[in-house]
Amino acid sequence: MKRLLLLSLGIFSFSLWSCDSGSNLNEQAFLDSLNTASSNSSVISDDVLESILQQIPSPLEISVLLKESGTNYNKEFLNETDKISSYNSNFKKALNLGVYGTDLGYTNIYEQNQDAIFYLNAIRDLSDGLSIGQFFNFGTIKRLATNSRNLDSLLLITTKNFNSINSYLQQQQRSNLSVLLLTGGWIEALHIICQVSQKNPDNQELVERIGEQKIILESIMLLLSFYSDSDPNIGDLTKQMATLQSQFENIQITQTYAESTLEEVNGIVTITNKSTSSINITDEDVKKIAATTAQIRDYIIN
Amino acid sequence: MKTLISLFGIVSLILMLNLDVQAQCDPAKHTEACIPQLADGFNFVKSYEINGEGGAKDKIEYSYVFAKGTQYFISICAEGEGTDGIILNLYDSNRKQVGTSYANGNFNKGIIYPCNATGIYYITFTFEGSQNHCGGAVLGFKR
Repeated sequence: MKRLLLLSLGIFSFSLWSCDSGSNLNEQAFLDSLNTASSNSSVISDDVLESILQQIPSPLEISVLLKESGTNYNKEFLNETDKISSYNSNFKKALNLGVYGTDLGYTNIYEQNQDAIFYLNAIRDLSDGLSIGQFFNFGTIKRLATNSRNLDSLLLITTKNFNSINSYLQQQQRSNLSVLLLTGGWIEALHIICQVSQKNPDNQELVERIGEQKIILESIMLLLSFYSDSDPNIGDLTKQMATLQSQFENIQITQTYAESTLEEVNGIVTITNKSTSSINITDEDVKKIAATTAQIRDYIIN
Repeated sequence: MKTLISLFGIVSLILMLNLDVQAQCDPAKHTEACIPQLADGFNFVKSYEINGEGGAKDKIEYSYVFAKGTQYFISICAEGEGTDGIILNLYDSNRKQVGTSYANGNFNKGIIYPCNATGIYYITFTFEGSQNHCGGAVLGFKR
């Protein structure tokens, strides 16, 4: 009878241990290496946090918009890759990993594969510094980057890698780094579109897209607020972002709802939606947003 | 003592069966299979895991900011050729439904949404007669 009891206990214990099979020594080393304030101080549940993180659009969308609108590639808009050595805190590394991620997407979309390699190297160094370099198979990525015909594959792999990094950071309860990665990426995309817009003031679509960032900024501010009290660096960044948010206050986004219709073709439903949105934004708004975005970006990259 | 041992055995069995049900669902496998199903010209941006935990969850929800002037494609994948009863519903920022993959009694494999109104959209997955309550989906966009 005792043997039966011991056996049951053994099975029970093994089952519980199996639940935690994701942990290993590398992950522990990763956790130990982090030097920012613990994200455990966040009062928000992981599910809610993940759901807000998920809703932030990829900066790639802005790069595609820029290319489709006919604007030329301009390397001057991007962060220089030789600043890596000055990013020596996890706060700076995570923010600039986001910045370089956006820059890599921009170079990919414009098929500037030689430049893409510089950004890949920078991303590799920062990722290694954050102990998340295992998500990048740089041999494969570099091979793809050297041939413009592989653009789709390169975009796919790099997007998948950034998604994996975000999932991993969230699983490791280091979502504060995910929030920083995302904030850095978003600021860089906003900076690029503001710079392009100022050089092309007649392009109303770019202006509207800048105004629409108000919706995304609200989500980012919410994410930052979870950590701004517990992490002084994030607190500082949040204050600067609040200045930016105040400049979006006058911008009005109006939505008009209308019923949609559906069409089925070969197992795919195409929705025709007559709902619309319009945006009220002035040139002055764009100038202020561009200037503050540039200031915050300077703080991030320098 | 016998009662205690029996109770312990039952608890262990339930725990193991529960773990087994959850282990059977591998959403990552389905999301990976789903990426090539994005139509030509769409850039992959997000993958969504659909784990109904053997029927314990009846709805899984994600959200994403869709932008005016951009087309979005969401593709659903599950075991086999079909969607295994997985239905995708799309709601706008006011929670008004703008579309569904379940149309005319058909479980369609995806939806294309040309967005005219920027805002947060809610993407929900529900199950109708599903066998595995397990799948994946991916989101792509193009201008």
